[in-house]
Parts: sequence; C-alpha cells; structure tokens
Amino acid sequence: MTIARIASPLVLGALLGLVAFIVFGPLLNLAMWAFAEQWFYPNRLPTGWGFSFWERVFRPRAGAWTSLFNTVLVACAAVALSMALAIPAGYALARQALPARSVIMLLFLLPQAFPNLPIFVNIAAIFYQWGLNGTLVGVVLVHALPGLVYAVWIATATFSAVDRSLEEAARNLGASPLRSFTDITLPQALPGLLAASIFVFLDSIDEFTGTFFVGAPEITTLPLLMFNASMGGNYQVAAITALILLIPSVGFMLVIERFLKADVLSRVGR
Amino acid sequence: MTMSSQAYSLPAPRKRLPRIRLGVLLVLPALTAITLLYALPLMRSLVTAFRDGSGAWTTEHVVRAFSLYGRDMLFSMGVVSASLALIAVMSIAIAGYLTLGATPWAVRVLRWLYRWPLFIPFVVTGQIARSFLATNGMMNNVLVETGLMASSSAQSFLDWRGLVLTFAWKQIPFVTLLLAGAMAAVERSHIEAARNAGASRLRCLFEIVLPQAAPTLWVGLILSMVAMLSVLSVPMMLIAGNPTMMTSMMAHRITYYGDYGIANALGLFSYALTAVTAWFYLRLTLRREAGA
Amino acid sequence: MKPLALTLGLLTSAVAAPAMAATTLNVFTAGDDNMVEYINEFLAPRFEAEHPDVRVRALGTGPGDAGSQAIYETLSAQRENATWGVDVAVIHQRMAGQMAEEGLLGAYVDSLPTGELASAASARNALGVDVEGYVMPMFQSQIAIAYNPALLGQPPQSYQALAEWAEEHPGQFGYNGITGGMAGVGFVFGWMYAFTDMMDTLQNGPWEEDAPEHWAEALDQLRTFNQHVTLTPGNAGTMDAMNRGEIAMGPVWMDMYYTWMADGRLNPDFRLLLLEPGMPGQPMYYVIPERAEHAELAAEFIALATSPEVQAEGIVGRFNWFPGIDAEHVRDVLSDAQWAQLYSDVTPETLAERGLSMPQADYFRAILEAYESHVSH
Repeated sequence: MTIARIASPLVLGALLGLVAFIVFGPLLNLAMWAFAEQWFYPNRLPTGWGFSFWERVFRPRAGAWTSLFNTVLVACAAVALSMALAIPAGYALARQALPARSVIMLLFLLPQAFPNLPIFVNIAAIFYQWGLNGTLVGVVLVHALPGLVYAVWIATATFSAVDRSLEEAARNLGASPLRSFTDITLPQALPGLLAASIFVFLDSIDEFTGTFFVGAPEITTLPLLMFNASMGGNYQVAAITALILLIPSVGFMLVIERFLKADVLSRVGR
Repeated sequence: MTMSSQAYSLPAPRKRLPRIRLGVLLVLPALTAITLLYALPLMRSLVTAFRDGSGAWTTEHVVRAFSLYGRDMLFSMGVVSASLALIAVMSIAIAGYLTLGATPWAVRVLRWLYRWPLFIPFVVTGQIARSFLATNGMMNNVLVETGLMASSSAQSFLDWRGLVLTFAWKQIPFVTLLLAGAMAAVERSHIEAARNAGASRLRCLFEIVLPQAAPTLWVGLILSMVAMLSVLSVPMMLIAGNPTMMTSMMAHRITYYGDYGIANALGLFSYALTAVTAWFYLRLTLRREAGA
Repeated sequence: MKPLALTLGLLTSAVAAPAMAATTLNVFTAGDDNMVEYINEFLAPRFEAEHPDVRVRALGTGPGDAGSQAIYETLSAQRENATWGVDVAVIHQRMAGQMAEEGLLGAYVDSLPTGELASAASARNALGVDVEGYVMPMFQSQIAIAYNPALLGQPPQSYQALAEWAEEHPGQFGYNGITGGMAGVGFVFGWMYAFTDMMDTLQNGPWEEDAPEHWAEALDQLRTFNQHVTLTPGNAGTMDAMNRGEIAMGPVWMDMYYTWMADGRLNPDFRLLLLEPGMPGQPMYYVIPERAEHAELAAEFIALATSPEVQAEGIVGRFNWFPGIDAEHVRDVLSDAQWAQLYSDVTPETLAERGLSMPQADYFRAILEAYESHVSH
C-alpha cells in the first residue's frame, strides 16, 4: 500500500540518486570551477584545467592570506567575547532568581527572531560615530552579536541540565560557591559550552552582512573576498575561496550529533 | 512584538535585595552588550524610518518605500512563501521517511545525504547556485546530456525560481534536522498501535507523527523565514534588476545614496512581516494548548 | 587545538612578513576587482621598488558609484580627525565633484611633475563641478557594446536599431540595470541622450527643475525595452552571461573587457562597437584626501602612476585602457602595433564622435531616480 512497500529497491535507489545529485551536483560544479583554467560557452566542460588560479589566490599580494587570518582571528575573538559574557549570564539565568527573567530571555531571542539586516545597517551608522567602522574591534563586536544570542541560550540550557544535587553536596562539604562552580558545575557543563563555542565560531566564519557594512573595505574576511570575486566575475577565485569556507562547515556537519545532546537541545528556550 | 525590546532597562541593582544582586551582576555584562549592539540599533532603525533630514517626524520614507519598492515587497513575500512551502513539503517527506521508512539501508543513506548543506554559508550557497542554475550551468547541461530536455529550451533559473531553490537547498536540512528530532521523540507505541490496527505508513505520518511534531516544524519554518528575509548576499548574487528581495534594495539605498530613511522604512516592513507570522504562530500554539 | 595553534602561527608569520615595512600607503579604489588588481599587480611593486620602506595597500570599495560613495563615507566619518586613514583614493566623476565641494580633497596637481600632462576638459571639470587642481585622471574609460559575432552577424549600430532588434530577439540583449555597476547606468544615460532632445543639456547643463517631466516618453520606451532584454547581475555579470552564451550583446566597460580578454577569461571572438548617437565614458580620478596621513608619498605615487612610461606600459600596453594623460605624451613611448591595438575595435574617429561624457551631477541623480520610479518600478 505505501510507497515504500511497493517501490522496488531500484526505484528507491533512483530516488536516492536524485537526492544525491541535488545535494552533490552543485558542490561538484563548484569544485570544477576551482580547477578550471578556461571555461566558456558552448563548452560543457572546462577546456583547460590547472592550478594557476590557486597560485593567484595565494600569492602574497592577493589578500587571501590576510582574509584567512582576519577570519580566524575575528572568529576566535568573537567566541572568547561571547562566551565570556554568556557563561555568567547563562548561569544566572539558569540558577538565580532574576527580576523580569522572561523579558531578559525574550531580549536574547529577538536578534534571531527578526531579520537582522536593518540592525547591521544601523550598527554601521552608529559605529561610524564611534570610530569603530573598518576596525577589527568593530567587526568582532558585530560578529559577537549573533554569537552572544546562541551562546546565552545554549549556556542557559546547559546549566539547567547540570545536576544540582552534586553542587549542593559540595556546598554542604564546605566548598565556596566559586569553588563548587569551577570544580563541579563547569566540568559538567563543558560539552554544552563547547557546542556553543563551535556554533559561535561557525557563525562568525560564515558572517557576511555585518562585515559588509562594518568592516569593508578595510577589513576583508573570506566571505567578503568570495563575494567580491564572484561579483567581479572571477568564478575560479570565488570557487577556491568557497572551498576553503566549506572545510569547517562540512566538518562540523559530520560530527554535529556528538556535540548537540538531546537533553541540551530539549531545554533550549526554556 | 518589537516594542517589548524597549523594556531592556533593568531596575538599578544597588537598591535591590542582596539575594538577587549576584544574579543581576552576572547578567549585566551580556545585557549591556545586547543593549548596545541590538536594542540601540533597533531603536535607531525604527526612529530613522520616521525622521526627515531636519529631524522632524514624517511618514514620507514609508510612503516612498512603498511607491518605489512595493513590487519588491510583494516579490519578497512570494519568494519566501514559495520557499517555505517547498521546505515544508521536502522536510516532512525526508523526516517522515527517516522515522517510518521500511528499508534500513535507504534510511541510513538518506540520513547521511540530506544534511550536507546544513552549515554551508549563504554566501557560498549563492556562488554555487550562480554557476549551477545558469542557462549553461550544470543542471541544464545534465538535463540536456541525459536527453531529458532539448538544448534549445535551456533557460536560466537565476530569477525567483533560483532564489526559491537556493533557499530551499540551504534550509531543508536545517528544518529536517529539527523535525526528524521531534518525530523521533514521538512515542513508538502510538505508531505501533496504529500500524497494528492496519493504518498505512503514510496515514501514520499524517495522523499521528506529524501532528505531534508540528510545533517544531513551525519553529523551523519561522527561523527559516527570518533567515531568508535577512540574507543579503544570495539575492545580490542571483537576481539582476527588479523586482528583487527587499534586503537588496535596502543595501542599494545605503550604498548608492547613503539614504537611511528609506532603507529603514523597508526594514520596518520586514519586521512587520515577521511579527505577523510570529503572531499567527503564537495564536496557533495558544489555541492548541487551550484545546489540549 | 594544536593544529589550530600551528595554523595561527603560520598565518601570523605569513601576514607579518610584508607588514614589516615602516610605512603603509593606503590606496582606496572604487570600481570592479580589476582596479585593485592593477594597483596590486602593476603599480605597487614599481612604487615599492623605489621606496623600499613603503608598503602599498590597495583596498577595493566596490563597483559603481557605490564604491565612490563608500570612500566618501569613510572620509566624512573621519572629518573631525587630525589625519585620515586614506592616502590615495581612486574615485568616479560624480563623487569627485561632491568631495571637492565639501572640502574633503587636497589640491595637489599644481605641484605634481606630471600635472601638466593632463589637459582634457575632464581633468578640470567633473560633471559640472570645478575640480581643477584636485584630480589627476588615472585612465579614460568608455562604455561600449560587446557582441558575440557567432550569434549575430550584423549588430545594430544605433540605440534606435537596438530597440527594434531587441524586440525581435527577446532576451538576447543583456545589461545590468542601474543597481549593479556603471556599465548599465551608462547605457541608460546613452538611452536618454538618444531618445530625449536634451543630449547637450544633460551633458553640459544648465540644470532645469522641470526637465524630468519631459522624459516620460523615453522612460516608457525604456520600460518596454526592458521587457525584451535579460537583466544581468553587475558589470561582470554581463560579460559572464555573454561567456555562457546566454546573451548575444550587452554594454561593458572597455577597460574591464580588455582585462578579461588578456586573462583568457573571455571568448576571443567577441567584438566591441559604440551605438549612435553615442555612449558615455568617464575617467577615474586619483585624488589625495585633504588630511591624508602620507600626502607627500601619495603625490609621489600618483606622479609615478601618471608618468608617460607607466601610462604607456601599464594602462595602454598591458591592459589596453585609454590613457588618463593626454595621448600625445603616451604615443611616443608606444610601438605602432600597440597603438593600433588600442583602436582595433573602435576607431579614433568613432570614439571622438560617439564617446560622450556622463550627464551633469544633478541630471545624473535625476535620471537614476526617474529610472527607479518609472522603469524598474
């Protein structure tokens, strides 16, 4: 009666093949562009293959190294900043009695619940006045905004999931609040906090719009480099940069379930 | 809903009871950051949309935004709706098969396949789509080579269809991941009971599994909608001329004219669109909870 | 975490090595990627060879007027500062006028050794604004129609003929509207020159408040025309669409076209033409901001860039662009073959007759606004 029962493995295989083409076809096309030296109509495949565009991307003046360095530096700084803010906040939101807790939680939800382009545009206008436009600090701040939102939510969920009785036992045995936090709570929350850090890191690596308004042209990150190359018609350069950007994204996709435990996921947003 | 963000200021901690002071102190740095980086720009965007050059209140920006970019607003709504429909259908199909599928190897292969685009950046997705969906891109080439299409009827998909396909390609894995998680949490015993009573798998999906996972589906779709209304790179790379997504036109107003008034008026519209959807969702869940 | 630390270390050393130089000369350039490439690949190594302790840093701010607007905003944001972070800027005509009027530019041309080599009207007047002393032309660029002879043997030679041709061949002509770079903007200006009776007024003024009311017919025609054409994403997008065989012809910047050609990125069979009655072009200007940190170095950089040798070897010889300084100074340094190559598609006579300037600043903006409210709306 159902599709699955009637369908022979052949049909099933064909369907999965179609899914595979939809998923991998575009990626394969990208990879081909990265190694195509010459490719124009009416040729269906590149007429020249090679690495000369790779050399061009990575020659010292081309800016790929600077962009890569900026990207990693900004991402690490954004992780450090948002985690430093989110760990105490998450702990307090999970454990302490707070006035207007739901309002605070809502405030930390809004940046993800509404389109963020107007926000970035106005941050850029404000940063102009503060002299932060075109500086690394400005870019880190604008990357930390979406990062902070993830970080606070995941940290709150993580601290709520930590077993309270162990903490209380430590306190009963005479440990100071700080000691019981660093020795008992933090180690238990570590996987969740690590997951939050990875999220912030990935988000920062991928961030385009904020950097476009706040950082460009002084600060170039890989997504901006890729965008400029693409709009400038340098498909090879764009494809090569895109491949570099894919490494962390695909890498994390393959291991995501190891980091996002069901017990933490189910608490996000509570 | 946007107005609630005005409540960001907290009562001064010093006069409060010492019991809560620690908690407030711990939250305060993050709260300050979100206030400066989010609430302040948000206010500025709302205010600038209604201020003219001399600082007087005006509705001129909103009126001009509608007259200049009304078509782009409709276009954005159309593209977002079509994408959401496609995302919903595909993610129900995939998550449904992952939950109820009868062929273990096919389920395993599908589980491995579907989520590849999950974390691929939008800007990369845009570049990928640009070369894949073009008139002589790989998609048409494969269709022509396999004889499914005459080479003369090859056409570019770099218009609203390209946007819908690109958004869907990127967002389906995300919604599917959420939905499959929610479906896996449905009590197996309910499904077994229905199966034993003779219900087909398809009926099981639509009458037992999906209703229970529906709230998650809604959340996934709303988050996807926000993402699509925020993305600047994809419409800039895919769509030439007008109509295009509102994000593109906001950036155009700013990069070409330095005109924040109309840009923010356009932003207002994208807030409104999200707020209306969120309101429908809230009403839906409230009614469901009241009914349950 | 170890591989990460290792990568970081490697990166730091890779970035730090060139940063050892004592002084950094910040060159901001509007325009497409090829502008950054020219400065990075051609000018910077030559300048650094003369000044070993200086490192040239070229930053692209994006295509079209948006790129110049970004430079303007960068400078006006620093208006109150003692020094500004931009030493040399390369900008379009419209913004040059506005920036000179607002006092953001320094007057440097009079003391420049190459200052007298540029005597064209566009070196003194930018779309109706007096910029004498503030700008040196980097090169003269021209918008032209590129076409694929494999797809059409007899290309239309005038705007009128093009409009008819486009109707018969839907989708075969492509351009980038007005939001994706100046090639499309310039095409629209040419359209207004052709279909309003204001060709001369638009280019030379004076500004008439009620002028836009006379444009309705031309804009309606353009609206109809747009229904028969393909819209491409950006200047590069037009050439890209030609490469992919999606369109048979479209407006391009000649400088970009030749850069791509030299790179092997463009089908070598393509040809160029200028439509009757004419298509606009404009110089890109070198300017020095009023409070540039390294104003003297900046002047030396521009002197090098506008010297006959560099203009001949780099601008004309290597990239096939039209020189910014007067042609006679460049002509002597070049071989006849190189000179002939410059005019291989478009003869000097055609260029003189059909190479027009952009509209005056007021008309410039008015036409764009009119396009947004009448054509793309």
